Amino acid sequence: MDLGLRFAVPGKAPRHVPGRWRVLALVLIAVLLAGLVWSRLVTWQVLQRGTLAAAAQQQYHELVELPAVRGVIFDRNMKQLVVNTTVYSAFVSPDQIPDSQRARVALALGQVLGADAAKVNQTLSSNAKFAYIARRFSKQKADQLKAMLLPGVGLEEEQQRAYLPGLANSSLAANLLGFVNFDGQGQYGVEGYYNKQLAGTPGYLSSYRDLANNQIVLGSQKNQNPVNGSNLVLTIDSDVQYAAEQALAAGVQRDRAESGSVLIMDPTTGGIVAWADYPSYNANAFNQTQSSAFLDNISSSVYEPGSVMKVVTLSGAIDAGKITPSQVINDPGYVYVGGYRIYDWDRRNHGNITYTYVLEHSLNVGAMKAMQAEGHASFYKYLQAFGLTKPSGVDVAGEDTVAPPSASAMQDSQYATTSFGQGIDVNMVQMLAAVNVIANGGRYAPPHVVERIGNNLNPLELQPQRQVISAQTAAQMAAMMEQVVQNGSGWSSRVHGFELDQAGKTGTSQIPVNGKYTLNVWASFVGFLPAKHPRFTMLVVVRKPNYPGSNEDWTLNDGYLTAAPIWQKIAQALVVDWRITPDPR
Amino acid sequence: MISTRILTKRRMVAQPGHVAAPGAGQRHTQPPKRRRRTRGFVQVASATASERLRLNAFGHAYMLVGAVLAVILVYLALAAQVTQSSYQISQLQEQQRQLVAEQDQLRYQEATLHAPAQVAQQAAQTGMQRFAPSSYVNQPEVAIDLTAPIGAPPTDSTPLWEQMVAAFMTRIGVSRDAMAATR
Repeated sequence: MDLGLRFAVPGKAPRHVPGRWRVLALVLIAVLLAGLVWSRLVTWQVLQRGTLAAAAQQQYHELVELPAVRGVIFDRNMKQLVVNTTVYSAFVSPDQIPDSQRARVALALGQVLGADAAKVNQTLSSNAKFAYIARRFSKQKADQLKAMLLPGVGLEEEQQRAYLPGLANSSLAANLLGFVNFDGQGQYGVEGYYNKQLAGTPGYLSSYRDLANNQIVLGSQKNQNPVNGSNLVLTIDSDVQYAAEQALAAGVQRDRAESGSVLIMDPTTGGIVAWADYPSYNANAFNQTQSSAFLDNISSSVYEPGSVMKVVTLSGAIDAGKITPSQVINDPGYVYVGGYRIYDWDRRNHGNITYTYVLEHSLNVGAMKAMQAEGHASFYKYLQAFGLTKPSGVDVAGEDTVAPPSASAMQDSQYATTSFGQGIDVNMVQMLAAVNVIANGGRYAPPHVVERIGNNLNPLELQPQRQVISAQTAAQMAAMMEQVVQNGSGWSSRVHGFELDQAGKTGTSQIPVNGKYTLNVWASFVGFLPAKHPRFTMLVVVRKPNYPGSNEDWTLNDGYLTAAPIWQKIAQALVVDWRITPDPR
Repeated sequence: MISTRILTKRRMVAQPGHVAAPGAGQRHTQPPKRRRRTRGFVQVASATASERLRLNAFGHAYMLVGAVLAVILVYLALAAQVTQSSYQISQLQEQQRQLVAEQDQLRYQEATLHAPAQVAQQAAQTGMQRFAPSSYVNQPEVAIDLTAPIGAPPTDSTPLWEQMVAAFMTRIGVSRDAMAATR
């Protein structure tokens, strides 16, 4: 059988093509076509499988992070100091806004959000895919925008921390609490220190979306619930905190000082009751605040405590059995130590005086003699025991300390100046915790701000309190400090009704610049009341006061004129708020 | 269909001694067989139905396709319902977000109203001032000597007849708090 074909060209004999060639040609064409298809299939299904599968999954698969709710912060009376709020950000997709609608959209955004209409118009004309118009505004504005049904305008929900109002232009306890930045990270203060506990752990939701971006519950979804952050209960009393901020602001303004700080502590537990700085800042507007304002002067900056240190020096010497409050010494007004002549603040010869008198009138010579009677090694040991050579460990971010040289590296003159509070740098928390030893029967209570983390007590609160000096020594020192208020430099701190039942000590130290002391001072006052059963211990520090007339007489910037009146005002408010009564006499 | 009546009739025919009806043929004259187990109504009915339907290969295919279609339809209906539900869940979640946002706002307003600064401001506006105590009343000192003798016990002023009645009542068990009731 002949399956061949005959092809005829006019004028020529027909050409015969054998049948098997025809079949072969068809098979070849089929193989080529199939090869093309298969090669494309191999390309897509094998070679580019990973890329294409990922691209496809990206279109329908969605991994949504479920943010954990940040823990809130309460004061000791369970008043909320920090609240989580929902805020909104408005964005536009200019390429989705018709030209005819642009003017309307720009006008509406300007009216509701207060955005600059010209800027909005410029953004809308840019044909960009995405642009923010306003960030973090309230729900009322968001609701207004939603109701307008503006094309190409979207809203984004965000969480924000809201802090209670304090004095003008600041929020309550801003330097203590810190703030949470736009990335949800706690910065400074308690927010920074306890960021991990407050933040919790975010969860996620793996889901599928249709073309209209609606969630489809079919499919293998994976869901991990977030673990919300723990709430914190602070030892702070918000009413006392506000009273402290008010009194401090008034005092700093009156003294024309650079800044001031107040720290109040519960003597028996070491819990901080108030932590006030002036000037402060508004944590709700942290993004409009200079970063220098965030630094906290209480724990993040050190100062020379001045005569407040005499409480530590004399306590150590009494506890070591080297001096007694009624022991008589001679104070000619100066003493030679390590080749230096060191004076009393008034450069007067005081003659024969007791150590109680030394503390009452804040005499440097007496403090140096007590230290010398005690000896360097013992003095240094008490510095360590009072917690002045290492950080206090307070649970607030950014504690700064300057450790003194080792006992053997300290020179005689440095021992001498340290005995009356110059040449040693401490922060306010360290200093208050040290003086609090007197108020707490000779025991050191670890200072802390947080009472409870979630349902657990703060481990700092559960730490055993170490006995620094004997209870008898503490009582003797408290009695000496009572005399400071009744007969000495602490007279300006007398609280009405507690004149005979409060203990205190002033402190004034010159500020060194480039190794030389200047006339600028740190003025301070520390005290507690009632003297025998203290309910609180308070330290006030005023930096660089410029008391009226101090240009002629720098001693007018002394702690008894600048810091003590602030202490008195706050203590007066505290005894009313806490209903403290003096001990029966 | 085969009814129970027909079955009963058949059983009767199968019983020994049963006289076959005239014209029943050779079949009925055979010796009685061993009684078979009676088939259930459903078995009989299904067998009869399959005999009568006599489905061929195409019929089976149609049935299979129909069943598959039915399953697909049910599946699609379920999927549509689930999708619809998921949309509703999304809407409710959105609503929940709105309510949480409102709750947050209200909580902040409440906290702000209780803030010391706000309270102080409102107090100042109404002319209130912070109270400062003008004086404290000191308690007189009371000397308590813990070593001093306590003294004679207080005498019982209950009349003797009442004490006797109470003692009697207590003894006979009628009342145990007769004394307490009189004081």
